[in-house]
Amino acid sequence: MSGWNPLAPLPAVERWTPLAKVSAAAGVALLVLLALGPLILNANLLDKLTTLFIYVILALMWNALAGYGGLVSIGQQAFFGLGAYGAIRLADAGVNVYLSLVASALLVGLVAQPVSAFMLRLKAGEFAIGMWVLAELAHLLVNLDKLVQGETGTSLIALTAYQADSRRATIYWLALAAMAVLSGIVFALLRSRTGAAIQAIRDDEEAAAAVGVRVLGTKRIIFILAATGTAMAGALWLATAISFQPKTYFGVQWTAYMIFMVLVGGLGTFEGPLLGAVIFFTIEAWFGGSGVWYLVGLGGTALAFSLLLPRGIWGAVERRLSLRLLPVGYHLKVPLGIPESNMTEGASGQAPSAVAEIPPVER
Amino acid sequence: MNKPPLTSSAHRPGLSRRRLILAAGAGGLGLTLAGSRRGWAAGAENVLKVGFVSPRTGALAGFGETDGYVLQSARKALAKGLTVGGKTYQVQILDRDTQSDPSRASQLAKDLINNDQVDLMLAVSTPEVINPVSDACELAGVPCLSTVMPWEAWYFGRGAKPGQPSPFKWTYHFGFGVEEFHKTYVSQWNGPVTTNKKVGVLYPNDADGNAIRAHLAPLLAKQGFTIVDPGPYEDGTTDYSAQIALFKREHCQIFNTFPIPPDFAAFWRQAAQQGYARMVKICQVAKTGLFPSDIEALGRLGINMASACYWHKAFPYKSPLTGLSGGELAAGYERTSGKQWTQQLGASMSLLDAGFQALKDSSDPRSKDAVVKAIRKLNTTTMIGKVDFTSGPVPNVSAGPIIGCQWVKAPPGSKFKLDCVVTEHATDPNVPVEARLLPYHV
Repeated sequence: MSGWNPLAPLPAVERWTPLAKVSAAAGVALLVLLALGPLILNANLLDKLTTLFIYVILALMWNALAGYGGLVSIGQQAFFGLGAYGAIRLADAGVNVYLSLVASALLVGLVAQPVSAFMLRLKAGEFAIGMWVLAELAHLLVNLDKLVQGETGTSLIALTAYQADSRRATIYWLALAAMAVLSGIVFALLRSRTGAAIQAIRDDEEAAAAVGVRVLGTKRIIFILAATGTAMAGALWLATAISFQPKTYFGVQWTAYMIFMVLVGGLGTFEGPLLGAVIFFTIEAWFGGSGVWYLVGLGGTALAFSLLLPRGIWGAVERRLSLRLLPVGYHLKVPLGIPESNMTEGASGQAPSAVAEIPPVER
Repeated sequence: MNKPPLTSSAHRPGLSRRRLILAAGAGGLGLTLAGSRRGWAAGAENVLKVGFVSPRTGALAGFGETDGYVLQSARKALAKGLTVGGKTYQVQILDRDTQSDPSRASQLAKDLINNDQVDLMLAVSTPEVINPVSDACELAGVPCLSTVMPWEAWYFGRGAKPGQPSPFKWTYHFGFGVEEFHKTYVSQWNGPVTTNKKVGVLYPNDADGNAIRAHLAPLLAKQGFTIVDPGPYEDGTTDYSAQIALFKREHCQIFNTFPIPPDFAAFWRQAAQQGYARMVKICQVAKTGLFPSDIEALGRLGINMASACYWHKAFPYKSPLTGLSGGELAAGYERTSGKQWTQQLGASMSLLDAGFQALKDSSDPRSKDAVVKAIRKLNTTTMIGKVDFTSGPVPNVSAGPIIGCQWVKAPPGSKFKLDCVVTEHATDPNVPVEARLLPYHV
């Protein structure tokens, strides 16, 4: 919370706007409240919320990758499936089953390091397709495992050793913690030096390289983070369902869901994916029973958003109202007396401020 | 609550405190939930809820097509309630469609367990439905019965290990396995059609294909059949020239396959064009050709194809729940829907038969422990025949029949093009054999 002196006559850079302070505090309060969930809520709500947390993680990770890193992947299900598979393998080897969920995500993060070495050499469409190929390859390799027995699959039966209520609560807390930690990491990353580099790459890779940004290294950080987070989501999903049928985890629908959440919520914004996940979760709860038309509706909505509102709901809100709930960019605060046209109203607090945010809104 | 082992937290100082909070929180949760459940149950003392999960839409819709009629018959039979130990309970059957999606099956099961608080879960047709539902029930401690998938994929496909005690306490499955296929094929192929006993097999590189290759093929070889296997192929293959050439060269008069339906259509058309189909005397298909529509889609090539069914309207058993015989069930369905009967009718009915028998046998159908105890001891006759969990091939499983049959041209005057007739009964001699197996000819 530095860099802002209200008495200074010169324009100042503001990061923690009063609104940001309030919303950050509200976010933390919400997390604390959610952490108390298992003490108050019934089993049904806990299971539903756990699902929502997993969706948030997926959206957050795909947004970090595509929205910030500019890496559009349609093969993230590779990491989702590997996260679940790793947990199955670790638990089978005798590791504590809860620990194996987290350990599996970290292991997938390790695997993502060498994978990134060649995947990141691919550009745009090639990268997208390359990731899909990678996902299919991972699927086939997992199918070869005798423990998995091809598409027959197996189950994480180690979890049945725990009593239903305590298990449900533990998985809920694990999912909540994973969501909080991963959004914390994304938040911190975007505010750091790397964050500026990431956003520069997103806006123009060549220009960023020209001003001395380490493009490949920066992209790798995002790639590995997204792989780890997506693997965590896969492991958590396994913990809630316990059935591991490879087709279910390595299905491309997972990436389709991620794309939907991020496109509708707001690509390249911090708040967008959170909003997108809540929207997707609600739509699924209401219309999930209507079968094929539900999927047609999802696809149609995503298409409409990418054509008409390419930066999603939050992107539009942000641009119209200059509303930023969480301070990942900078606001340039200009003393009174600057022409009206440069000002925004109310949104960032009592004092009017012109917004010169990093990153620029339009691509 | 089971304590997580301490070894994991020993080298992570931050973790142990969190574990402590977890334990405390879970304890509190247990108390609140126990309190709320008791209150909830009081209002529904006389209502029994049974979940019924099946694939009604999507790729597996063929399996769920007849469920509407079966459920309607069951609901009619249960309209006056179910009397258990002198007490009459109202019955609600909550049927859900998985849309052929395993993730959705899992979520629906959890919803039925947590939200509707079902007393018994029934799941039917294919690993994509049954395994996730069974797993959800095993986790939550809800009794679950299922049928219509090879029991090996249900038992070993959910983490059970051969030679070890069963890890499952709440979930039970009945129906065919590899051993039944073995008996049926040997009986069918040593029947009235004489062949050179050379079997061309086309088993895909998927769960079923590899399981059949590993377990069934050696058993058949032991019975004097020569197995000609060109090796696994990927689902979705479009060119089968190499396999067809091999079968022709080896002069395989018996052909056996476990493909997904579109692959079989592609293969068999090519086999007909390239002159192999003419050579075949017995064309024995599984996994495809279960329902009349699959065979009709092949046109002329579908006539006289041999198959195997887990139920047939000729089965001599009555459904104890509805009192219907096989013939009555099939005729009722044809009258109501205008469509031809399928083997799924009897299978879904047998699941309801077995489920409600278990509820009746239990000392208290509202107690999950009592119901699962009743399932463990269940030994009854349903529409598909005996369901007996006291003497299964492995615990939690009761093996069921798979009867050899053949798709023949329907007799004149029939509303439908094809007819499925029973040609052998090795796995259940009570089922009457209706016809002699006819040689396949194009």
